[in-house]
Amino acid sequence: MIWLVMIVCGLLTLSMRFVMFSDLAPRQLPGWLEEALGFVPVAVLTAIIVPAVIISPEGGLMLAGNSKLPAALVAVTAALVTRSVLATIASGLGSMWILDYFLY
Amino acid sequence: MTTSATSRHDEFWAGVRAELPLQLGVAPFGLVFGVLGLASGLSAWETILMSSIVFGGASQVVFAQLWGGGVPAPVVGASVSVINLRHVLYSASVAPYLRSLPLRWRVPLAYLLTDEAYAVTINRLRDEPPSPNQHYHLLGTGMTLWICWQVTTVMGVVFGATIPESWSLGFAIPLTFIALVAPAIRRRADLTACLTAGTIAVVGQPLPWKGWIILAAVGGILAGWLVHRHHRRRTAS
Repeated sequence: MIWLVMIVCGLLTLSMRFVMFSDLAPRQLPGWLEEALGFVPVAVLTAIIVPAVIISPEGGLMLAGNSKLPAALVAVTAALVTRSVLATIASGLGSMWILDYFLY
Repeated sequence: MTTSATSRHDEFWAGVRAELPLQLGVAPFGLVFGVLGLASGLSAWETILMSSIVFGGASQVVFAQLWGGGVPAPVVGASVSVINLRHVLYSASVAPYLRSLPLRWRVPLAYLLTDEAYAVTINRLRDEPPSPNQHYHLLGTGMTLWICWQVTTVMGVVFGATIPESWSLGFAIPLTFIALVAPAIRRRADLTACLTAGTIAVVGQPLPWKGWIILAAVGGILAGWLVHRHHRRRTAS
């Protein structure tokens, strides 16, 4: 049973990735839609980032005593200054570990 | 529009090179999923093969948690679809560059169109001169991520229990996305999209089945687009 559900989920995911590659899909997106799609990466990724930083596994808001919040701010600064993925991850993980060790 | 005749080899390896740094975020995610799959009650094979059958990090984590929690199959399928609905938008964004390819290329490239492969390859497609071999770039980014995801899932299943939880390696996932989002915020409209999506994602936490993901994404896109339209109308008049 789990295999059937997994394969259906895989096909659903593949079809969502494929849908606009199809010959039946519209050739040219309307201008307004293309403009809107330009905001997709920022909106989708932010929607994943923010809860991962400030929401606890139980679903509650986690601000005070949460080393991930300052670590994420360090990472944002590092990303803006260095534009490097490696530097961003290293500074974020490093800050979190240091804060956890010394402060929290 | 000028075209440049970049070789298949150059495009593929440019994709691989550009994708490699992001594996620092993907690898811990794969490890975390491997551990979580077993902890949720899936077998080793179910956990390992899900990484190639579904091949979508966030949706796999939710699949494992819901299945382990005894949630009915249609709800699991609907949840995975909602979480992966963002790929429709990636598909639309990349389609103009790939639509002329034969089906034997489009299907595997669609399969490989994950967040991190998209984020890297769309920059090449948008910002660099078109080339008849530009789809090899997506093959390079996609295959790099695919191999890393499969290998680290297996490692998570095999060795995961020995990684101390205090390392919080799962935090590498949002950090990877921060590295992609922060430099992409250039206009007031981008910032609006970011703030709106972030706010909805927090406020919408009580929604069932992670419904806040798609709600925050759609809200962010809409807000960014409205500000963009408003700003352009004002500068035009």
